[in-house]
Amino acid sequence: MATLTETPPPASHDQPPEFRTPRYRRPLGIGRDQLTMYGVLAVLAILVLAPVVPTLIQSVIDRPLYEDGGVLTLEGYRALFTDSGFGEVIWNTLLFAALTTVLSIVIAVPMAVVVVRTRLPGGRLVALAMQWPFFISSLILGFGWILMYGPAGFISVQFEQAFGGVPWNLYSIPGMAVTEAVALAPIAYVFCANALRQSDASLESAAQVCGAGPVRILFQVIVPMLRPPVVYSSILIFSMSVETLSVPLLYGQPVGISVFSTFLYKNGLQSVDPDYTVLGAASVVILLVTISLVALQAKLLKDAARFVSVRGKATRPRKLELGWVKYVSVGFIAFYVVFGALIPILGLVFRSFTLIFTPLRNPFDFLTMKNYETVFQFESYRQSIVNSLIVAGVGSVLVSSLAVMAVMVARRSTFRFGRAVEYLALIPQSVPGIIIGIGFFWAFAFAPFGSGTLLQGTLGALIIAFGLRALPSAFGSVAPSIMQIGQELDNAARVSGADWLMTFFRVLRVLVTPAFAGALVLTFVIMLKEYSPAVFLSSADSNILGTTMLELWAQGRTGSVAALASIQIIITAVFVALAGLLMKGKHHA
Amino acid sequence: MPELAVKNLKKQFGDNTVLHDNTFTIEDGEFFTLLGPSGCGKSTTLNCIAGLERPTGGSITVDGTTFVDQEKGVFLQPEERNLGMVFQSYALWPHMTIAKNLALPLNIRKVDKAQQKTLIHDALDKVGLADLSGRYPHQLSGGQQQRVALARALVYSPTMLLLDEPLSNLDAKLREQARAWLKRLQTDLGITTVYVTHDQDEALALSDRIAVMSGGHMMQVADPHSIYERPATPEVAAFVGRCNFFQGKVEQSSGNVHTVRLEANGEAVHVDADLDVAPGQGVTVAIRPERLEVVPAGSEVAGTNRLDTEVLTSSYVGSHYEYDVRLGHQVVQVESQRPGLSGRVQLVFEPAGALLYAEKVELSAEERDLLTVS
Repeated sequence: MATLTETPPPASHDQPPEFRTPRYRRPLGIGRDQLTMYGVLAVLAILVLAPVVPTLIQSVIDRPLYEDGGVLTLEGYRALFTDSGFGEVIWNTLLFAALTTVLSIVIAVPMAVVVVRTRLPGGRLVALAMQWPFFISSLILGFGWILMYGPAGFISVQFEQAFGGVPWNLYSIPGMAVTEAVALAPIAYVFCANALRQSDASLESAAQVCGAGPVRILFQVIVPMLRPPVVYSSILIFSMSVETLSVPLLYGQPVGISVFSTFLYKNGLQSVDPDYTVLGAASVVILLVTISLVALQAKLLKDAARFVSVRGKATRPRKLELGWVKYVSVGFIAFYVVFGALIPILGLVFRSFTLIFTPLRNPFDFLTMKNYETVFQFESYRQSIVNSLIVAGVGSVLVSSLAVMAVMVARRSTFRFGRAVEYLALIPQSVPGIIIGIGFFWAFAFAPFGSGTLLQGTLGALIIAFGLRALPSAFGSVAPSIMQIGQELDNAARVSGADWLMTFFRVLRVLVTPAFAGALVLTFVIMLKEYSPAVFLSSADSNILGTTMLELWAQGRTGSVAALASIQIIITAVFVALAGLLMKGKHHA
Repeated sequence: MPELAVKNLKKQFGDNTVLHDNTFTIEDGEFFTLLGPSGCGKSTTLNCIAGLERPTGGSITVDGTTFVDQEKGVFLQPEERNLGMVFQSYALWPHMTIAKNLALPLNIRKVDKAQQKTLIHDALDKVGLADLSGRYPHQLSGGQQQRVALARALVYSPTMLLLDEPLSNLDAKLREQARAWLKRLQTDLGITTVYVTHDQDEALALSDRIAVMSGGHMMQVADPHSIYERPATPEVAAFVGRCNFFQGKVEQSSGNVHTVRLEANGEAVHVDADLDVAPGQGVTVAIRPERLEVVPAGSEVAGTNRLDTEVLTSSYVGSHYEYDVRLGHQVVQVESQRPGLSGRVQLVFEPAGALLYAEKVELSAEERDLLTVS
């Protein structure tokens, strides 16, 4: 409405207008860019050190951290290795982890070769089916296996009736290893399949031109190329089975077989008067094992290749014709998928709809919704579903944001401590969930001015602990997507006058959104399935699906467990489906 | 006025030195090109000027403003240098329209909306794309994207323009047209320009001065004519244009004319070069393929130096013929307008057509294999 506005004189070609060169304030030489970067570094350092440092201290203090007058001692380590039975625990753990690793590789490698490199009916279906562990936690798988193949399991009993005996015993180290291998084989499969897809198909053509037949090509060209992914995934699976809690807890506890995680669980939670010094010492020893495994892994797989599973433009390799072998392969794969995953999971879901589940009586006679009614009637069960959703929902947003910032600082800045940021974001990969739980438990007790009690036992504590667990996955999922955005886009913005922060908010933020959304979905699912840090951190008010299921299982209320497990699976499936739809829709727009 | 002074610029990555104490100045309004093969340090030099990389030693000053001075610990962030830069990939922000791409640097400089509109229109008009301001980058052709990138770098009237191989993603025909257009634009604007390329034709055609770089060193800084006619080292001669090298020994010198006995066939040639050499000294004679004339054996053509050779291969490349001829065990490349020569021929060249260097030229193993015949 102003009739006249002062317009600056139009720019003439001869005398270009002079603009103010952008200036950014840097009091004490530190601008907002640096401040943000140091902030990200500090947050990560606090998050990672919070559970680790108190654990280290606790291991050499003779009484619980929160009591006064602690005295330095090595008694914890002495006791651990003399009279706590820890030697047997180490042996069990090694045996369990080694068996699991071997079995996973035995399942995964032939499968990867057959699916990727031969003409196989339903190959794509198999590739899809191998993603099932993403949706189903190993805790739920363990429940399903016990329901089916346990001593009183549905299939065990039927088998016994038909053949007069059962040749397997689930409650043993081999039993544990088989279940864990079924759950972890897809990891090895993904690594091997990707390596095979990325390998140059002309290598095979060359062999073929030289006169080699399909079988010779398979064993002399293709299989040797798999050595790197096999070595790498072996170490990964080994370290994952060293720290896993679910299967050893469900199978080992009843018959007294202890591994690292269940040793901590038993001594920390179930003993009347836990010896925190021994617990601390055990945590430190276990931490040393897992950290050296991850260090080995990192050494074997040089830096950038760490994200090998998500990288790669798939070339279309030629497929070999295997003849009758392919029917054997199809049978093998079908056996794995059906008996390993499908039957236990469907059994568990079916169990949630019946009162009695045994082949001795027809379960269809006892169909009911009562299990679900129970779950929704009791405030504490209902609450645990809501809690899980809150933890996963809030946590995934926080973790994904932190991961994006960490990647930006580590990979897209000249920050002096960029490498440190990256390492800090990836370290939690090597810290077992249960130790994160114990560590934060002590950290909250140890925190100055009683600030820890504000968090102790709340959902906030769970969000922090679960978030830390999910951080390496989030970082790993964000990093390659951000690295795909050309560095020159940042440089162009910087030269045009935007500082690092403004470059991020004005230019990169939109481009990073898909990576952020991907990390969001991934971490939501991870945090929904997670429970091991919660066994030490949750209170009656902050139970989540996992801890509630464990509690109910201990009480023998299998029906309710089945109902909660089904609910968790459904939430995951619906969330992933919705996210997929949303992202697809956005992609087309 | 913006004059760029670079002193002792040095960049190391660990033990690997990619820039060795380079010193040069760029005059106001000059079109200055950094030319060299990949890995020679030309892009690193440009990035140090832009502030995208921090040198490990030396200083860069523009018009009294210190961009970086490692001794004094001064480092100006790229956003505070007020430069315009065009990248090899153009680096147009893909989620913004062309107008938005140009508006961002103006927004940062808090230019009001009305003036922004004029400036964006003017800048796009300069590159002939005013009617495409509403498009997204992926809707434009490569050549158009390159011009938009240039408009974006110019819209806020930066003190200098930095171009990092901006034409290398265009196809050959378009590249030549874009080259001429770019030259006109730069002359019109009179903006000081630093241009990085590995393409010698581009460098020769565009530049006021060229710095030829190799292995982190500046081999020669001079105008295009001097670079081509009087390359400072055999390396420059080999990189800018093609060149045949012959090892030889000086027999005698009178003034600037030296008699050199060639190792390849044991014959003596005369070379006119301003070089201080003593009889008996090992030297390299360098001759560009177009300075050699090839004539049938026994024909009467004037020329001081005549070498008896034999044609190995002849290729027709449209505008002329290219012959590979044999001199001893060495292959010599010759450009000629004469068609269909074969068998025994003579190479003829003037003493002033050849270059003389005191250093010995070490060919790479691969070149040696390709340029040697038994």
